[in-house]
Amino acid sequence: MAGIDPKFGEALKNYGAINFNACYNCGTCTAVCSLSTPENSFPREMIRLSVLGMEEELTSSLKPWLCYYCGECTTYCPQTANPGELMMSLRRWLTSKYDWTGLSGLLYKSLPLTIVAFLLVAIGVISFAASQAFNSETIMHYGHYFEMIAIGAVFAFILFPNIIRMWYFVMVRSGKKLSLTTYVKTSGELFIHMFTQKRSLGCDDNQFRWFEHFILVIGYLMLLFTTVFLDWFGSQNLFVILLGYVESALIFIITVDFVKSRIQKNREVSKNSQPSDWFFVIWLLLMGLTALLVRSFIGLGIIENNLWMYLIHLTVLAQWALIIVPFGKWTHFLYRSFAMYFEALLAKAN
Amino acid sequence: MKKKIGVYICHCGGNISDYVDVEKVKKSIEDEGGVYLAKTTMFACSDSNQKDMVDDIKGNELNGIVVASCSPKLHLTTFRNVSERADLNKYNYVHANIREQDSWAHSDDKNGATEKAILLVKAAIAKARLAEPLIPNKIQAQKAVAVIGGGIAGMKAAIALSDKDCPVYLIEKAPFVGGRVAQWGNMFTSNQTGEELITKLYHELIKRKNITLFTGAEVTHNAGSIGDFRLKVSVQPRYFTGTCEEKQLQQAIDACPVEVLDEFNFNLTKRKAIYRNAASEYPQTATIDMENCTRCGKCEAICDKIDLSQKEEILDLHVGSVLMATGFDPYTPAEGEYGYNEVDNVLTLPQFVRMLELSDKKLIRNGKEIKNIAYIYCVGSRQEEDGNTYCSRYCCTSAIHTSVEVKKKFPGVYNYHFNRGIRTYGKQELLYAESLQLGDIYLQGDEESLPEVSGESGKTMVKVKDILSAGRLIEVEADLVVLVTGMVPRADNSVGSMFKLPKGRDKFFNEIHMKLRPVETFIDGVTIAGACQGPKNIMESVNSALAAATKSYSYVSKGELETEPIVAEVDAELCSWCDACTAACPFDAISMTNESSKAIALINNSVCKGCGMCLPVCPTDALNLIAYSNNEIESMIDALAAG
Ligand SMILES: Cc1cc2nc3c(=O)[nH]c(=O)nc-3n(C[C@H](O)[C@H](O)[C@H](O)COP(=O)(O)OP(=O)(O)OC[C@H]3O[C@@H](n4cnc5c(N)ncnc54)[C@H](O)[C@@H]3O)c2cc1C
Ligand code: SF4
Ligand code: SF4
Repeated sequence: MAGIDPKFGEALKNYGAINFNACYNCGTCTAVCSLSTPENSFPREMIRLSVLGMEEELTSSLKPWLCYYCGECTTYCPQTANPGELMMSLRRWLTSKYDWTGLSGLLYKSLPLTIVAFLLVAIGVISFAASQAFNSETIMHYGHYFEMIAIGAVFAFILFPNIIRMWYFVMVRSGKKLSLTTYVKTSGELFIHMFTQKRSLGCDDNQFRWFEHFILVIGYLMLLFTTVFLDWFGSQNLFVILLGYVESALIFIITVDFVKSRIQKNREVSKNSQPSDWFFVIWLLLMGLTALLVRSFIGLGIIENNLWMYLIHLTVLAQWALIIVPFGKWTHFLYRSFAMYFEALLAKAN
Repeated sequence: MKKKIGVYICHCGGNISDYVDVEKVKKSIEDEGGVYLAKTTMFACSDSNQKDMVDDIKGNELNGIVVASCSPKLHLTTFRNVSERADLNKYNYVHANIREQDSWAHSDDKNGATEKAILLVKAAIAKARLAEPLIPNKIQAQKAVAVIGGGIAGMKAAIALSDKDCPVYLIEKAPFVGGRVAQWGNMFTSNQTGEELITKLYHELIKRKNITLFTGAEVTHNAGSIGDFRLKVSVQPRYFTGTCEEKQLQQAIDACPVEVLDEFNFNLTKRKAIYRNAASEYPQTATIDMENCTRCGKCEAICDKIDLSQKEEILDLHVGSVLMATGFDPYTPAEGEYGYNEVDNVLTLPQFVRMLELSDKKLIRNGKEIKNIAYIYCVGSRQEEDGNTYCSRYCCTSAIHTSVEVKKKFPGVYNYHFNRGIRTYGKQELLYAESLQLGDIYLQGDEESLPEVSGESGKTMVKVKDILSAGRLIEVEADLVVLVTGMVPRADNSVGSMFKLPKGRDKFFNEIHMKLRPVETFIDGVTIAGACQGPKNIMESVNSALAAATKSYSYVSKGELETEPIVAEVDAELCSWCDACTAACPFDAISMTNESSKAIALINNSVCKGCGMCLPVCPTDALNLIAYSNNEIESMIDALAAG
């Protein structure tokens, strides 16, 4: 017997859900959704569960991750209940549910708190630079290490435990038993989806956006690799240098396009931007841009006299790595990939 | 006089001629006795053909016509008018239905259909040969209308009739006018209160000199028929000769030893046998409920304006038409139906509406503040076969409207609607949208999985398999369960039986035709309005009241009425008044009369519908149905059998 909670809907509004109460369950959204299947039907069911406030069922549901927000449902909903944005809000809400620290939820719900967090990180970076007497060599040296350490720590202490929680909510609560070999054999799904996001191609009229996303993900991951492991800023290898330029330029160009469409609101997905969405695209943009500039300054040999450029880059990087990656929208990319993986596992269990 | 008959056989586009060889039909009947001319036509009802018919009739001095086409339900009047335009008595036109009764029914057998058409037309010709010109009956119509029931429908009808300069008697059984509407507070969809509406209408009523209002009044007897109804009305006294001083009245009420449940509040509260009107009840004076009064005289001793010796009055009214607007009763759930009368925080929607009116700062039931309210829809409506299978129409909207009112008046309340599909048609949909926005929760069951109410260990639980979330069993703890009860016909149907008003499948008064004659009944001269005809909200009740007022007025406006001459007639020689026919007549049109000191049957021409039910039961064959005489029918049978 399921209990219901009319207060849940109010709470979900803090995660950006709008007007979903208007839903009268006609099912148009599910009918027009090109990713919904008879076995995995959404978004109407998700709206229904949200209206009823069936938290437990929502926590173990993967459906919010199966949606790539083409926005067809929102376009056709006769009640302007905005099912697409509801799915998006559920993703934000789920992220906060998975996050053991509870910080995701706090940051989503409060813009002032988010700004404070960004400021604190910036102050941290500047104080660190001051403690090193603004010596560019040591700062850049530690900066390089910081990237590696931050990535490792965020994964080990935040993201990994959160994935385990997600696994618990979804897989353990489902009551389905799966052998370790099945987990291993199916793991291919995880990486395919992580790198290609190929499922989003199923969204109608989504080919170009998928392509942009694909290039962005590849560019981002490669830039990470190029800076952390190939030491782009220090390398003398022409190929590495050029590679880095191309990657950061790509990130910059694509994120500019994303920002533009959020400003113009020309797609369903970009009509209702939450602060977390803005931070995500803008910081990605800034990362591409500042990395490009820093590397050019290094190339031109003017970085020592213009350390501020590197400090800006480091601040952006630190904010990205300490706030957006563990608690912000970046996690969607991770959870979505795991969702596909778990989905494939559950399908095997049936 | 020898008949000169014109026969017109219609193609009906192809509806008839695709299956019936109309040319062959024409050839086959051309030589029938009396046929002067025979034609086929693409559309008999077309203007051009109508004109040709008029020319034919006039030019050839035809004295009978036969039209073979679609059902007479569609075009009987059309061709009667053609006859009249050609100065031919309209009863000399005979119709043969060769579409519904032939071409459509036998589309698989063209030869058979053609043969049948020939016979049907021949039979019609046989009847036309014997048809006689007839003159419609004329009867006097008393220019006055009795409106029975002073609810919102009756009040609006009375005002509309009065505005047409027609005297009206408005007869209300209760001591006050206003009906159910007086019981409701803020209402959908205009957000006015019942009090506001009734106050407005009452002042309109009493302003009009040609409306006579009787409260506490009931029709006890009816004789006569359309144009000439003779009613006996019993009027109960109020037992007041004037208005008591406020303080004295209160003392009198306090002194009254009789306490009964107050029906105005659907038994939520009690009142004395002497009681005040509610603010929405008119006329605004106290009254005494004689059914419960013990005549102890205590009140009389306090206020000298109270007079227990007043007697009922019997009045005779003479009217040309009766407009019935007796309204509805809210459905009373059976014992234990969704916990009714078993679980103590279960009540009906009408009760809840009153409870809201009576509640002030907090909504409290049994000393506990109400936070969670469960509404169970369709109680007493949309039941299984044998029950009330109909939808009561008003209740979805009313429940939603009430729940929105609750939320506005008592913030912090949560509403749970256990419905079976919301039917807030038209503009009422906006209320549903508003309620969704307020965060109300809608759970939907169906006839296979109705909600269940249980009250154990001080908790009232309502559960249902919600078909909108894949049949999940969902349970809600409710502080109050509101049964959204439908409308049923008035339990007391004595006035309906008195007028022999037919009832429909749903047991409400029935109209002749839902779409084309929506306020007329089979009892000529009696119209119906408001919720006595079936579940209606106020707008619909008032719409039908205005329509019924116009229809009733049309019966009496000219002072004279024409009725069909096709009625039964009695052969005084043959009739021996065995009384068999009175029982056979469904319309009470036959009574006994004395003609040259012999008892014989008398047909009331304005009541007889020409149905012919009395003919076969007459042992001496003394009855004849005009235009369907034995001769005519036999000649038709002969024509049909000859084939
Ligand atoms: C809980 C509830 C809430 C509602 N809320 C709304 C709302 O918000 N908005 C809306 O549009 N509609 C509402 N309705 C519907 C509305 O009440 C009806 O549409 C309206 O009452 C119908 O009016 P009526 O005159 O046909 O019948 P009634 O109101 O029933 O009046 C009939 C009158 O006839 C009298 N009578 C009966 N028998 C006799 C007799 N034999 N002789 C003489 N008099 C007789 C009765 O005493 C009564 O005064 C509601 C209904 C309910 C049950
Ligand atoms: S299309 Fe709109 S109203 Fe219909 S089910 Fe989806 S969200 Fe609800
Ligand atoms: S109006 Fe609504 S509550 Fe009333 S019977 Fe119809 S469906 Fe049921």
